[in-house]
Amino acid sequence: MHEMSLVQGLIEQLVALAAEHDKQRILTVTVDIGPLSGVAIDSFQFAFDILSKENNLTNEASLTIINSPATFRCVQCGHEESAAVRPDQCSKCQESLLIPEGGDAITLNQVELE
Amino acid sequence: MCDACGCDLTHTHTHDHDHDHDHDHKHTHNSQVIEVHQNLLAANDAIASGNKAHFEAKGIVAINLISSPGSGKTTLLEKTIERLKGTIRIGVIEGDIETDRDAQRIRAKGVPVIQLTTGGACHLDAAQIHKGFHLLEHEPGGDKLDILFIENVGNLVCPATFDLGEHQRVVLVSVPEGPDKPSKYPKAFISSQVFVISKTDLLPYFDFPVAEAKADALHLNPRLQVMDLSSTTGEGFDAWIEYLTSLHSKNQSTGA
Repeated sequence: MHEMSLVQGLIEQLVALAAEHDKQRILTVTVDIGPLSGVAIDSFQFAFDILSKENNLTNEASLTIINSPATFRCVQCGHEESAAVRPDQCSKCQESLLIPEGGDAITLNQVELE
Repeated sequence: MCDACGCDLTHTHTHDHDHDHDHDHKHTHNSQVIEVHQNLLAANDAIASGNKAHFEAKGIVAINLISSPGSGKTTLLEKTIERLKGTIRIGVIEGDIETDRDAQRIRAKGVPVIQLTTGGACHLDAAQIHKGFHLLEHEPGGDKLDILFIENVGNLVCPATFDLGEHQRVVLVSVPEGPDKPSKYPKAFISSQVFVISKTDLLPYFDFPVAEAKADALHLNPRLQVMDLSSTTGEGFDAWIEYLTSLHSKNQSTGA
């Protein structure tokens, strides 16, 4: 349910960007949601569809969500692999304990305005 | 600028647009693409950093307690306060959707406490803690603390996303909830330092393989410190107290 508050923050940020660049409409928004961010992509999209309609600046905006992978580091051999879903084991030494690095951010990457 | 702690909260929406550039674009109108690359939680995280600096300036270790409703967070705190009375000064910020019942229970134990009610929101955020901590400082005994516990809203999902400025994050799962919680709600376990299995006095009545729950949690986060305890019988409680005491003494030696 915290997706609603995250999208509220996003809309505020978009409104501030539009004011800063003296623009009247937001056309496209690209957000990167990491696989370990704890954010449900469908809920985020749903919240955006609802909340963007309530604002004249954002009511025609389309949202693109990308999902950059996280890095998983093996505690045994130190091998690092990049994956959107946690691998069951290290591909080099088959160790099952892997430490996740990154992949927990929710980033506003790009905005197109006019 | 916050008067009491001097933290700078006036510029939480700063944007750095060094590399704005116009792209050739299929739109016929005059549109502009801006590369932002800013975390959506940047505003929260900026306040969280301010909170952390404020705690550290006052020599406080802050612990964020996260679990589902009914895992025994408040009972754990009650017993912890009893055990540490006279040795470590504890303060508590309670988060709930409604009521100040948890704060009443903590207040009855004689330590400073503030209740935050979110009015429906499923998690605490850094701004609420900023406000809550200032209120706590004005409670009797609230200006001199060693450990601050923040009892988050009972929810194993949303609180995991919001940094409050805490030094340690502790996630609880109680025996009746079942051993599969780490696998089902990974974010809370990945972002925590300590995993407490609570209500172990109920193990005879529930199918809760402790080793399996521990292994699942460690699979997600090999750095987790895991302990199992019962606040009711006191079994396993020494490890928890030892953890808090050692946090406190480490903090005193680095803060001195």
